Amino acid sequence: MTDTFETPSAPTKSRFAKFWDSDFAWSFRHSPVAMIASLVVLILVLSAVFAPLIAPYNPFDPASLNLMNGFTPPGTPNAFTQDTFLMGTDDQGRDVFSTILYGMRISLFVGVSAVLLAMIIGIVLGLIAAYFGGWVETLIMRVADVQLTFPAILVAMLIFGIAKGVTPPEYRNEMAIYVLIIAIALSDWVQFARVVRGAALVEKNKEYVQAARLIGRGSFPIMFRHILPNVLSPVLVIATISLALAIIAEATLSFLGVGAPPTQPSLGTLIRIGQGFLFSGEWWILFFPACTLLALALSVNLLGDWLRDALNPKLR
Amino acid sequence: MFAYIVRRMFQSVIVLLVVGLVAFSMFRFVGDPIDNMLGQERTQADIDRLRGELGLDQPIPVQYYKFLREAVQGNFGVSYRQGRPVSTIIAERAPATLELAFVSGFLAITMGIALGVFTAIRRQGVAANIIMTVSLIGVSLPTFLIGILLIYIFSVELDLLPSFGRGETVMIGNWSTGFLTTSGLKALILPAITLGLYQMTLIMRLVRSEMLEVLRADYVRFARARGLSDRVINFRHALKNTMVPVITITGLQLGSIIAFAIITETVFQWPGVGLLFINAIQFVDIPVMAAYLMLISVMFVTINLIVDLLYYAIDPRLRVDARAT
Amino acid sequence: MILRNSAIGLAMLTVTSVQAADFKWASTTDPQTMDPHAVNSAPVLGFLNNVYEGLVRRDKDMSVQPALAVSWEPIGEGDGWRFNLREGVTFHDGSTFDAQDVLFSYQRASGEAADTRSWFAPVSDVIVVDDYTVDFMMTAPNPLFPSSIANWMIMDQGWTEANDAAVPDKEAGNYATINANGTGAFKVTEREPGLKTVLEPFDGWWGEVEHNITRAEFNPIQNPATAVAALLSGDVDMINPVPIQDVARLQEDGDVEVIQGIEARVIMLGFDHEAETLKYTDDAGQPNPFRDPRVRKAVAQAVNVDAILATIMRGNAEAASQLVSPAMSGYSEANAERPAFDVEGAKALLAEAGYADGFSFGLKCPNDRYLNDEAVCQAVVSMLAQIGITAELEAMPVRNYWPELREDNYDMYLLGWSPGTFDAEHPVRFLVATPNEEKKLGSWNFGGFSNARVDELLPAIQSELDQTKRQAMLDEVAQIIQDEQVYVPMYVQPLVWGTRSNIELTQRPDNFFLLRWVTVN
Repeated sequence: MTDTFETPSAPTKSRFAKFWDSDFAWSFRHSPVAMIASLVVLILVLSAVFAPLIAPYNPFDPASLNLMNGFTPPGTPNAFTQDTFLMGTDDQGRDVFSTILYGMRISLFVGVSAVLLAMIIGIVLGLIAAYFGGWVETLIMRVADVQLTFPAILVAMLIFGIAKGVTPPEYRNEMAIYVLIIAIALSDWVQFARVVRGAALVEKNKEYVQAARLIGRGSFPIMFRHILPNVLSPVLVIATISLALAIIAEATLSFLGVGAPPTQPSLGTLIRIGQGFLFSGEWWILFFPACTLLALALSVNLLGDWLRDALNPKLR
Repeated sequence: MFAYIVRRMFQSVIVLLVVGLVAFSMFRFVGDPIDNMLGQERTQADIDRLRGELGLDQPIPVQYYKFLREAVQGNFGVSYRQGRPVSTIIAERAPATLELAFVSGFLAITMGIALGVFTAIRRQGVAANIIMTVSLIGVSLPTFLIGILLIYIFSVELDLLPSFGRGETVMIGNWSTGFLTTSGLKALILPAITLGLYQMTLIMRLVRSEMLEVLRADYVRFARARGLSDRVINFRHALKNTMVPVITITGLQLGSIIAFAIITETVFQWPGVGLLFINAIQFVDIPVMAAYLMLISVMFVTINLIVDLLYYAIDPRLRVDARAT
Repeated sequence: MILRNSAIGLAMLTVTSVQAADFKWASTTDPQTMDPHAVNSAPVLGFLNNVYEGLVRRDKDMSVQPALAVSWEPIGEGDGWRFNLREGVTFHDGSTFDAQDVLFSYQRASGEAADTRSWFAPVSDVIVVDDYTVDFMMTAPNPLFPSSIANWMIMDQGWTEANDAAVPDKEAGNYATINANGTGAFKVTEREPGLKTVLEPFDGWWGEVEHNITRAEFNPIQNPATAVAALLSGDVDMINPVPIQDVARLQEDGDVEVIQGIEARVIMLGFDHEAETLKYTDDAGQPNPFRDPRVRKAVAQAVNVDAILATIMRGNAEAASQLVSPAMSGYSEANAERPAFDVEGAKALLAEAGYADGFSFGLKCPNDRYLNDEAVCQAVVSMLAQIGITAELEAMPVRNYWPELREDNYDMYLLGWSPGTFDAEHPVRFLVATPNEEKKLGSWNFGGFSNARVDELLPAIQSELDQTKRQAMLDEVAQIIQDEQVYVPMYVQPLVWGTRSNIELTQRPDNFFLLRWVTVN
């Protein structure tokens, strides 16, 4: 019975079956840490994506807020309004639970976009620098020097300032998020570029690259087909930490006064606001967003750890 | 080699000039220093007069040229906020940042390498896995929050360590050091941990990942086959070969220690150049910002140069390349 | 006489050595200079009041009392003021204080380069009558002149000139930027700008010593949470300010105390009165509704100040009805009512003005200038949303904020105003009078409000000697400001200081902290 079904469905099923039987999936099935971490990431990402459906309130709608609900402790009715909130409310009377869900959307969007952008810029420039050498390399690596010189905070401030100067006032608040993405990406790409270049310099002189050259393959195929897969290990180490770091960098920028607008807070902005209540007894304003950030960043990092080992052919 | 160094030096100067130009073009986006310098009862005439006196009404290239002309002679101008020469202020503040960076860098490298090697050798061990997971908690929260939590635990609740500042310092020549007094050393602990935590985790993970690869390389297998002891294999052969990427990253991290010091110094009110810089941004103290950025640029360019040179020293294959470039 | 003095000195010495006290305090900002004429800002003047002194000074309750002048009286019918100087006063370096120092300090503080110049706008001439008598001649009768110069500090001519600091230099700095030589109760013994400043009692001070401090150290701590931690752990003895939200927690802690008062600063919303059109959001380019007083009144009724005070300010502030707090002279009792919170009324007003469907606009707000400024603005946004007008909030650091206001980049904005003279005339001059560069009027009237009657009353108020007549005019101005709803005053910002419980001190409403009223137990 099984046999008769297996054979005709093979073309459609085989892709998944192949994947399921691969070393990669095997390693996943045998790593409880990876499974738990990916479950956590999955839950968090899904609840962020479907925030409008899950969240009991829309914290980004100012008309729905009641200031008198401010500082309601978790699960206790508010003294004035008798409303109860799962994770309490913040200083504006916003439901902390809903705000976290909406905030996580912004944080994830900023983090993922920034890392992708940084990775693309870094890998392309790093490979080009290593492969071509000469003045191209010099130019790219000196630009990287200039870039490294400016602390991320300053890069962000610069981009904020310029963007503020060039965007029409009515779009400024929408703009803030994209500025954050570009700012974090621009302060992060150098890491990728330098590591890719460093690793690619070593790979470049190896026999397989020389061989590929001898049989007349073009520069770009060699770079991306042959060198890139072999330098991905350090890139992955950086990318995993970078994703968590990008989300955290957003929080740090917010601490220094350049972050997501307070009326549409990200997870980082929530923590920045919450840290002001560390001594005052309203622990929930800091605790829940910080825990969410911790769970998210930790899971991403753990997943990255596992992914690195699993993808590395040398470690099998 | 010598020609290479000379060429790199020349490039470095160009880098510095570009950094300066970028810095100067962005200052006007940071804000306007005038309002901070004049009180509540100022008039538009006062504003225009002061702007003229400071030369802020001139085009940016002119301002930059003037800055460079003075900077070449070692004169970085006078701080708008403090009314003192910037070079004096930076010389006063630099020891605090350098000592902090040194201690946290030292912590990060020693602990990072030690834990990295440990977790690589005992890859499947319970202790190694706990270290791997716990170390991640430290990098999964923003630095400022970690700093504030440390203050909350160790100075408010336990009352063991000071909550801010550098403690008592001793002057040795022009260098104020916190290494020689108990209060100075105590004051270093929390900021150094806050600052070094991220770098430590990064170095640790990197060392571990590189070690794991090297330990599976053929020459290590040969060494094992030859009957060399684990200790010799692990340290003489494996660790040595993980050093290329570790040096790259550590070099880069040295830079980011200085950049991250801005946050740590703000949280702990640590009187270093990072705090000076944050104050300068808040006050739009252009001479201080310019000098700080130039200083950081010089430092980064030097670090880059050293890292590149070390590359050539460690990996002989790259020497061919040096001649080519 | 000499014997008795030394006996007292000895007694004092034993007393102080028993209670010898090191005192450390922290605040958010470091005074940027030690020069009392270079920068007219509260952190600088407040700090230097410990070191320098003026002809008059303010007491614990802000009343004006003699300092370097023992008495003063008007000359003629408002021609000027005569100050009789205190004899036997010495500066920290030992030189004697006399009328020449007053003349010198006047010239220094009223010169081009001085930030304190505006204080001397009404002065036409200063005449040294003898070593201990000085006449200040006025361009017009000025009843408030003596109290308006309480922060004008006297420097020693000899010391200042010998150190090439005869002209304040805030750009390049000079000797007086980091050194101080006043007549005050404390002298600066160590100054590391941005890090710490050490003060020690001045033995030769003329006044009666009420404190028991032997050494005082000031540290700026920027991050509010760090400052609270420093106070809780005993690293400092006093912090200013305490973040509002931490007040309750600190009050519960047995080792620290919270001292609260009402500051002179009124927090208000301002409007663009001049612009024809709105500048922000989807409605940019539409006619500017805020030119209609009914819309401004609707805003005033929509803002639930009591809710802001109860939650964000945690009951630590008082609602404000006008541009000054009730503690200021010239406050209008007749206009003490503020518009009641009335959502329906506000909606009705909007409908009457033709905005029944609401509109959207841009609200600008600083996020590092006033206590919880950003949170207050956020609350205002959600309150205005209840009456159907949508504010798009942009909060920014103060370094970007003032240029933004100067360039009229707002539809509505948040402003705090503290009257430097502690009189109701001050905000009228700066915030309400039609902007006039030449007469130095309306320099903070960003919205460009203009009312002929106010402009007419202002000079009359400034020169009126009769208190009743003056108050009547101030009442009329307050009435106009309320009728027109030029601003929406919300509340008077609270003063919240925290101390270790073994410290006794006096909190003055101008947020100045004076060491001479500190006792360490």
